Amino acid sequence: MITLTHFLIVGACLFSIGLYAVMARRNAIMVLVGIELMINAAVLNLVAFGRYDSEHYGGQAFALFAIVLAAASVAVALAIILNVYRHYKTINPEDINHLKD
Amino acid sequence: MNPHLLTILIFLPLLAAAVMLTVPARRQSAYRYIALVTGLFQLVLSGGMYYLFHPKGAGISQERLYQFVDHIPWIRLDMGGLGRLEIDYFVGVDGLSMPLLFLSALVMVIAIGASWNVQKSAKGYFVLLMTLDMAVMGVFSALDFFLFYVFYELMLLPLYFLIGIWGGVRREYAAIKFFLYTLFGSVFMLLVIVGLYFSVTNPDTGAHTFNMLYMMDPANYVSGSFFSALANQELFSIPARLLGFIVLFIAFAIKVPIVPLHTWLPDAHVEAPTPISIILAGILLKVGGYGILRICFSIFPDAAVQSAWWLGLIGVVSIIYGALVALTQHDLKRMIAYSSVSHMGFVILGMASLTTEGTAGAMFQMISHGFLSAALFFLVGMLYDRVHDRGIYHFRGLATLMPRYTVFVALAFFASLGLPGFSAFIGEVFVIIGTFNAESVNGLLPRWMAIAGSVGILLSAAYFLWTLQRMFFGQPYLKGGGAWSKALTDASPRETAIMVPMLVLALVLGVYPALAFDKINASVLALVELVVGN
Amino acid sequence: MTPDTPTYPILAAFATVLFPFIGFLLSALAGKKAKSGFLAIITIALSVITAGYTFAMVWGEAPIHAQWHWFTIGNEAFHLGIFLDNIAVLMLLVVATVALPVHIYSVAYMKGDPGIHRYWTYLSLFCAAMLGLVIADNLLLTYICWEIVGFASYLLIGFWFTKDAAAQANKRAFIINRIGDIGFLIGFALLYSGFGTLDINALFGMEGLFVVPAATDAPASAAQGGLPAGWITVAGLAFFLGAMAKSAQFPLHVWLPAAMEGPTSVSSLIHAATMVAAGVFLLARIFPLFDGTVLLIIAATGTITALVAAYFALTQFDIKKILAFSTVSQLGFMVAAIGIGMYPIALFHLVTHAFFKCLLFLCAGAIIHEMQHLSDRHQLGIDPQDIRQMGRLRRYMPVTFATMLIASLALVGFPLTSGYLSKDALLIHAFEWAAWQQGVAHIIPYVLTFVSILTSFYIFRLLAKVFFGPTVTAPLANGQAGIHDPSFWMLGPMLFLAACSFFPLFTLQPLHYAHAWLLEGIGVSTPWAPIPLLHVAVPAVTTAATLAIAALAWHWYVKGKYALKTDGLLYRFSLHQGYLDSFYDRVVVGAVLGLANILRWLDKHLVDGIVHGLAAIGRGLASIAGWIDRQVVDGLVRLVGKLAWGLGSMLRHTQAGRLQGYLSSLFLIILVILLYHFIVQA
Repeated sequence: MITLTHFLIVGACLFSIGLYAVMARRNAIMVLVGIELMINAAVLNLVAFGRYDSEHYGGQAFALFAIVLAAASVAVALAIILNVYRHYKTINPEDINHLKD
Repeated sequence: MNPHLLTILIFLPLLAAAVMLTVPARRQSAYRYIALVTGLFQLVLSGGMYYLFHPKGAGISQERLYQFVDHIPWIRLDMGGLGRLEIDYFVGVDGLSMPLLFLSALVMVIAIGASWNVQKSAKGYFVLLMTLDMAVMGVFSALDFFLFYVFYELMLLPLYFLIGIWGGVRREYAAIKFFLYTLFGSVFMLLVIVGLYFSVTNPDTGAHTFNMLYMMDPANYVSGSFFSALANQELFSIPARLLGFIVLFIAFAIKVPIVPLHTWLPDAHVEAPTPISIILAGILLKVGGYGILRICFSIFPDAAVQSAWWLGLIGVVSIIYGALVALTQHDLKRMIAYSSVSHMGFVILGMASLTTEGTAGAMFQMISHGFLSAALFFLVGMLYDRVHDRGIYHFRGLATLMPRYTVFVALAFFASLGLPGFSAFIGEVFVIIGTFNAESVNGLLPRWMAIAGSVGILLSAAYFLWTLQRMFFGQPYLKGGGAWSKALTDASPRETAIMVPMLVLALVLGVYPALAFDKINASVLALVELVVGN
Repeated sequence: MTPDTPTYPILAAFATVLFPFIGFLLSALAGKKAKSGFLAIITIALSVITAGYTFAMVWGEAPIHAQWHWFTIGNEAFHLGIFLDNIAVLMLLVVATVALPVHIYSVAYMKGDPGIHRYWTYLSLFCAAMLGLVIADNLLLTYICWEIVGFASYLLIGFWFTKDAAAQANKRAFIINRIGDIGFLIGFALLYSGFGTLDINALFGMEGLFVVPAATDAPASAAQGGLPAGWITVAGLAFFLGAMAKSAQFPLHVWLPAAMEGPTSVSSLIHAATMVAAGVFLLARIFPLFDGTVLLIIAATGTITALVAAYFALTQFDIKKILAFSTVSQLGFMVAAIGIGMYPIALFHLVTHAFFKCLLFLCAGAIIHEMQHLSDRHQLGIDPQDIRQMGRLRRYMPVTFATMLIASLALVGFPLTSGYLSKDALLIHAFEWAAWQQGVAHIIPYVLTFVSILTSFYIFRLLAKVFFGPTVTAPLANGQAGIHDPSFWMLGPMLFLAACSFFPLFTLQPLHYAHAWLLEGIGVSTPWAPIPLLHVAVPAVTTAATLAIAALAWHWYVKGKYALKTDGLLYRFSLHQGYLDSFYDRVVVGAVLGLANILRWLDKHLVDGIVHGLAAIGRGLASIAGWIDRQVVDGLVRLVGKLAWGLGSMLRHTQAGRLQGYLSSLFLIILVILLYHFIVQA
């Protein structure tokens, strides 16, 4: 039977893959994908724990909320990446270091 | 008569300086004319005061015997537990200060005349000169010790700049040496002033006071205070009053100057521009002598009697030492500077005798030396202006080239070496007589000091005549050759106009010394009475 | 004693001084325009008249004293005054009468000199001061005139100031005189401090504080005064020092021969007749001051001077130097006369000497004048004062020869001359004094007699060489010289003075001085008994010796049979004037200059060294303080700053600007916090 632990392991794997993508990929879009993976890992955890709240369905409600937010943020992020590309002719995060002092 | 004549005399130069500050710097010649007009006005004013001065006005320790007095409360600060601070604007003249005021005004006019060719930032120069003028007048008339000190220190500042900016090659060295020497003396003077302040009270108000006249009366001392004669306080196992006297004496003796505190003088003279040399020798040295009489002797008469022997010794040493060192100088100005040391030694010796003849002789010697040394430095300046050289060995036979100048030099030299008919003779002779008298009158000085002092008269003849023979007689032979003999023109009308009055004055005072003695006598008698009488 | 009101003699005496003084002022103001000397001659002529009047009124009468208040110092009044007694009016007359011929003589003698206007100015100044000196009523005034006289002498010696020798000579004269002046100054200052007055009459008058001692060895009224006896002696010696310098006494005589650099007319007036006698006059004035010790020193000094100067005169070749040493020698006689207590005789000799010595110089001046012409005309380039160049001048200048012979006879004390009277009186009294004093005092009269023989020798040597002897100067030898007696303006004064050198001016008895009006007027009283034999023996011996010496000089110098070696020690010593000049230059001047140089060195290195040392210490302390300030105090402040800066610069490296870096750190930090949380929970 599929227990909570299985969900959590899948969530953790997803999170780790996402983290890896965020930290190691040389492409801003892949970084974005990593972020999405991490959000989805969180959403998976929310849904999995939502089973214990059968009264208010808080888990599901938050999951939906998070998915919507993630979609919105992806739209904004893609727009930023597009502008970054126009400006720098690259979307490699290594090359965009103008944030330093 | 206007009771504020003295105040006008003191602060007139300040007004002139203020006017000068408003004149734009490009109008160079305006400054000297303003200065000259001020100087002449001061001369007339002080001459008038000298004429009006009543010969019975002894002054010294009694305010009612001072003349032209201005006495206004100046600073009244309540200091809580320490009582009220009482500083007055208190000025007045007596027989000691009146001749010196007139002398200062005269020497100032001469100095302004000698500054006629100053080109380097004339504005600053004349403003400083006027400030100096004010300070000098103030020093000679202040009767409040605090006021005196203010003027005394105020003299230093303009002089420092006048030497340090307008001087010769080593001017900075000389200016700093002069400044530090004098400051060394006056800093300790300040301590004594404070000590006196806390020892003396005004008998009318009971407050502590800086009034010098109160300091001269032993009754005004707080019993048990530091400088009280009765308390016999000691510091470093020296009686406090003796210590106070010594400190003040050293402060003034540096100005006089005495051997061995004299080495600032030759350097300052050699580096200073001619007008400043004139003021230094003519007025500044007199401040020392005046201070000793007015302050050291009057406030600490008991200590003065105790140290008379040492003072006499200092005088004798200065006379002979100065004369001997002058004998070996190769620079004319330096030679005259050392002769000043020697001649001022007579002033110290005369004062130390504490006899009327000696003290009056010392006063007379100061007056006489005032304009004779001014004349001598002016003469050196004339030579220096022409060829920028003062070496005694660099000239020979000047009498043929510059006859009128030679007459001036010869007269000034003979006047300085004490030829009868000139004022220095009267001064020196009465110093010697007073010193001889001291043994029989008060027993303060032994007779050998008088004999040793008179050797100085002999030596002064030696160095002046040697210079005269070396530089002026013989066939003309100049270091600078033909260029020099062209440059060495005879005395110009301006120079003659400055020299003649000084020599005439030396002659008039020498022939009729009563002109000065009549004004000095009463004060000298009062002073000797104050010092020796008790 | 209250001073009398001014009377005609006082006014006349005052005018006597005033006239030359006005002459001085006017010619000083006129400057180069006063070339003629007219002014000077007129004023001195007026002085002679008023001096004559004063003399006639006062001589033999009671002294007159008048004074005016001058100035007051403290409570002591000082006066300007005139005191006329016999001595004063005598000197007044003598000075004026000698000065007048010299002035007239100068007109011709100084003609054409470019600086002649100065000459007249100085000469008038001298006359005024000299006349003032003799009538001054107090010692301060005397001193003033005394110094001004010296000053005028300085100016006149250095009249030709472009000559180095003249410039050196006047400096030397003034400085040596200054030594004496110091003595004078000390003397009168001592008297003033002891007695409170400088009035000559009050101190030394008939009823003065010092009474004339009855016997010369009695201490001079030491008891009355406020001065201890020792200091009286010191005062006496100090005054004598003044007189020694002014009257050129050994060893201070060196300035007088050097003073011959001045014009000869000046030498005759100042350095022979008047100024140098001022010392003798002063000694006579203050005579009562001297006690036995001082008198003995005075007598000894005078005698030594007379001897030494005569000895130096023997070998000189400069005609003026011979006369100068002769003057010194005669002044020695006068001083010796003071020393034996016979100041009237000193004054007597002073007066006679003034005339004949002045004449000798004027004659010498005439000779020099002509020799100079001769030298210029023939381009010989000889020294006009060198007697070796002269000879046979008698043929060219007979009147000059005659007057000079008269003066020389007066100098050696030949009978019928004035010099005979005074020298005779002097020698006789010296012998009598020695007999009275006993002992070694006998040396003095014998030495003086010997000196008078030496005097004969050097003056006859001079006469023989100048007027008779063979000459090396060709134009003189062959009679082509073309020189002659001087013009009347010079001869007149010479003849006048020659007339004054004979006995009738002083007494009608040619061979005995006792009734000379001068001595009777001043009054000689001797404490000893006269020795009649001397009055015959002394003149007989000296006259015989004079004749013998004259013959010897003729034999040696005219006949050319000179018998002495000229390279002996004594000869060289005399020729170089005892090497005194070089002695003074090396030893005295050298010592003073050496001391002065040492002091200068000390001044520069020790006194100024201490000042510089103090300054260096101050600077050292300041630089230490500065170092501490920079390194320690400031160091702490800087340390704090540096720490902050280092920290910041360390941390700034974290701001790499890399997005992924930030994210990793964020993650790490969260991880650390979580781990920490876990550990704490555990």
